[in-house]
Amino acid sequence: MYDATTREVVAPVPDESVAAAATPDPAPPELVVRGLRKTYEAETAPVRALRGVDLTVGRGEFVALMGPSGSGKSTLLHLLAGLDRADEGSVSIAGIRTEELSATRLARLRRRHVGLVFQFFHLIDHMSALENVALAALVAGAKPAEATERARDLLDTLGLLEKAGESPANLSGGQRQRVAIARALANRPTLLLADEPTGALDSDGAAEVHDLFTRMHRVGQTILMVTHSADVAAGAQRIVRMRDGVLLGEIATTGEQR
Amino acid sequence: MGGGGFGAVRAVARAELRTGWRALLLMALVFGLVGGIATGAIALAERTATAYPRLVEAVALDDARVLVAADQPQLAAAVPSLPGVAEVRTDQAWIAQIDGPALRFVSIGAPTTQHDDLVRPVVVAGRMPAREAPDEVLLSESIAADSGLGVGSRITLRMLTLQQVSMFDVGFGPPAGPTTQVTVVGIGRMPTWGGALAAVQAGPAFAAKFLPDIVGYAIYARFAPEPDAAQRFGAAFARTAAVVDQISPSVVAQYVPHSVELPGAAVDPAVRAAEQVLVGGLVVFVIVLGLGGLQVLGQSLLRHHSARRATQRVESALGMDVVERTAARVLAAAGAGVVAGIVGGAVILAAGWLEPLGSQARFEPAPGFRPQWELVIIGGLGIGVVFLMTVAVTAAVAGRAQQPTVTRPRPGGTRLLRRWPAALLGTRLALHGRVGRRGLPAGTTAVAASLAIAGVVAAVALGASLERLVDTPARYGQGADMTIVDAREADVGRLVADPRVAALDVGASGTATLADGTPIETTSREVRKGSLPVALAGGRLPVGHDEVAVGPRAASTLGVNVGDTLDIRRVHGGTSTLRIVGVAVLTSQNNGAVGDGLLVAPTVMRELVPGQPLFDAAVVAAPGAADALYAELAQNLEVFPRQVPDAVRNLGDLVTLPEILALVLAVVAGAGMVHALLTAGRRHAREVAVLSVLGATPGQVRSTLAVMAAATVVPALVVGVPLGLGAARVLWWQLATATGVAGDLAVPWRLLLVVVPAVLAGALLLSLAPAKRAARTPPAVALAGG
Repeated sequence: MYDATTREVVAPVPDESVAAAATPDPAPPELVVRGLRKTYEAETAPVRALRGVDLTVGRGEFVALMGPSGSGKSTLLHLLAGLDRADEGSVSIAGIRTEELSATRLARLRRRHVGLVFQFFHLIDHMSALENVALAALVAGAKPAEATERARDLLDTLGLLEKAGESPANLSGGQRQRVAIARALANRPTLLLADEPTGALDSDGAAEVHDLFTRMHRVGQTILMVTHSADVAAGAQRIVRMRDGVLLGEIATTGEQR
Repeated sequence: MGGGGFGAVRAVARAELRTGWRALLLMALVFGLVGGIATGAIALAERTATAYPRLVEAVALDDARVLVAADQPQLAAAVPSLPGVAEVRTDQAWIAQIDGPALRFVSIGAPTTQHDDLVRPVVVAGRMPAREAPDEVLLSESIAADSGLGVGSRITLRMLTLQQVSMFDVGFGPPAGPTTQVTVVGIGRMPTWGGALAAVQAGPAFAAKFLPDIVGYAIYARFAPEPDAAQRFGAAFARTAAVVDQISPSVVAQYVPHSVELPGAAVDPAVRAAEQVLVGGLVVFVIVLGLGGLQVLGQSLLRHHSARRATQRVESALGMDVVERTAARVLAAAGAGVVAGIVGGAVILAAGWLEPLGSQARFEPAPGFRPQWELVIIGGLGIGVVFLMTVAVTAAVAGRAQQPTVTRPRPGGTRLLRRWPAALLGTRLALHGRVGRRGLPAGTTAVAASLAIAGVVAAVALGASLERLVDTPARYGQGADMTIVDAREADVGRLVADPRVAALDVGASGTATLADGTPIETTSREVRKGSLPVALAGGRLPVGHDEVAVGPRAASTLGVNVGDTLDIRRVHGGTSTLRIVGVAVLTSQNNGAVGDGLLVAPTVMRELVPGQPLFDAAVVAAPGAADALYAELAQNLEVFPRQVPDAVRNLGDLVTLPEILALVLAVVAGAGMVHALLTAGRRHAREVAVLSVLGATPGQVRSTLAVMAAATVVPALVVGVPLGLGAARVLWWQLATATGVAGDLAVPWRLLLVVVPAVLAGALLLSLAPAKRAARTPPAVALAGG
């Protein structure tokens, strides 16, 4: 994660207040998923998106999640981030069981522990790059000056300071994704979830973003990334494969790309 | 067409109808109602504008009328043979005092033979007097209303002799002619009454019975179809009358001038002015309502189609061109268009019940339901077609592929906004939304909302000003409860001593002449008791020898105001320079005109007005005593209750227009605002979901949508309220000046103090619905939809 005082990407620090309230284990993994199931109602027949997923991601680990379209990768990521509710199973982030949390506590957990990066960026067009990043800090309760400073430093680190006042519409795909990553890092999350972050980028943009994730992992950021790209996945420590809503297995990588 | 064909158009139309029929139906109902009201107002304007000419046609109005004294029968006998005349009817005429609630003198006319083609009033109640019935009469509407008489009323007519008529100015004692009782069998309507046309019409039997007692002849003529018939007739009548006057002068010559009335030659300017005010008011109503309705429909449909822009993109990718996509949406809305047309047509049909507005109602030849089928059919079709055209245009605009607008976001607002993420995002979404992304430009919504609120405020303020005018007689110069005509000093002294009289002014009026030769009615008021309310549009009443107050319309006509001076010719030579110290609203005792003329101190009056002025006594009764006092005075004196001048009555009848306009605009604007706010959650679902992704709690999401609602409404209120008040002030000033009353606007502060927070509270309440929907929709679903 990013430290504003040193202007470096550094290892994340668990949020003591939230963690203490939920009485976590002494040294829990960053993410623990057990028996996760999700079924969507469709017009013709129910779609069983997840059929019992078990997954553990250790603190500081970089895991790539691969699989064909419709295998349930994005659904899994959304359930992990608390953007949707599972039908069954449990998710534990930084030792906190999310299925028992109210919407408000889930939102607080998300702002403290989870950063999300999407394939299509999901930046707010009516705000500048700087405001998009600062908004995340403001939502988390940062004072305006602190939020702006943090956002400015993040954009500086990611090489976008000169674009701080620009609308996302004026930025290239790679630049937009870097702004989205800066926004995801604004609250120093312990877990960074990325859903095909290079999927909508050209090769140059994809390389920029890939390099950024690699740098973040090097300084201890826990990352779970959904990707179709074998090249991008090769930068992870582990690749977990998924099909038809279940995890098929995993392989460790050589870490050549790291 | 592209490759999709009509099958694809039908399939898309079915899908559109399945998901959007409720919204289309709602918009069709509202637009049909608004369009129907606007077109119904056109029907009403047409009925109001054509009332007078239709009545002229209905009564087959005569071309000329002359009044001849009874002691000059040879002149009456000569009229039928004068040049230019094609047809003549000669009525006998009497003058009688009628007993009733108030002392009145009326003229009676009756033909010796029936000529229905020359005097044929529209009978609005009852029937014409029977030929063989000497005790049946028909009254003019004005006499019936003024005297409190109706069909079935029995009245006693005490006729004057010709000798008594000749003593009108010096007093003649009790009527010395025959006395008879008659029954009112009908109330009649004509374009004009008075002059030669008697307000009481009897039949041939009456004429035969009282032939020896006539005081004159009322002769009605229709000209031959010749271009100069009127001129030749007028000249010949004048020559003949002069000859007769030399041979046999009339004893009542001063009351029976040898002039020719031409009732159909020119419309009374007062009628024309009233028509212009009323029709003008309706036209403004139609324009504001029509444009407002169209704007709101356009915005609502644009939002409706913009929310489904993604669907159009898919259709485009499948090969449907813009014509096919638009055609599909028009096809889907066809049923709604029919509904709009039917609703609109029904409203236009119902408008057939509305009588002409204001004083023009007294000219309607066919009172009651008057459907205008052509307008119903054309209007209904037009409303349906406009609805579908608007659907087509908005669908095409919404489906047009657009490049994202490349702009630099404005600075991040104030420090206060930055302090609170909900405020930051909420205001941004409300104020900086762009058409390239989601639906309607925020600026257009804000302008439309501001204009709608301005329209409502202006209409309410105008309505309040009209109501205040109508409810405050002093504002149109009728502060007195009753006015005694030709007041004698003895009567005045008795009234001053009467405890039922709270205030009494003795007024004198006559015609003064400005230095440039322009005659101008001039009045003075002498306070004898209490304080009679006089409306001042500015300054104060004149008290000094060199002071004058002018009426608002006179001030406008003369181009003067308080502080200026007026030069007026003195009776005995030279001019007086009077300083204008006030603008006062007075009503003329001569012709009922409001706001004309001058008001001076009583001592100045004698220096400026030649001859004997007309005196009147304006009486304000003690609380609760007005009716009894009037009834008592009316037995012996010619006393008139408070009269509402036509100009004010016309405005009074317009009171409902701004009220309806305000109501309809409020409904239309409210519907647009409700639609905008309720769909805000859907239009900004992605941004709200992003906020949730960043960790915003449900409370923060609710706050964001509440701020967005407030940021939509507050600028509209901040701009719309003063804009509406400003527009109302200008409009009212012009209307008031034209009418002759004070031009200060009645600002409905209490209403505004309630409405402004109510609108804000309503917007915040409305924001709860999209907030609830946003809370129910998982961010993952919202992001996938975006």
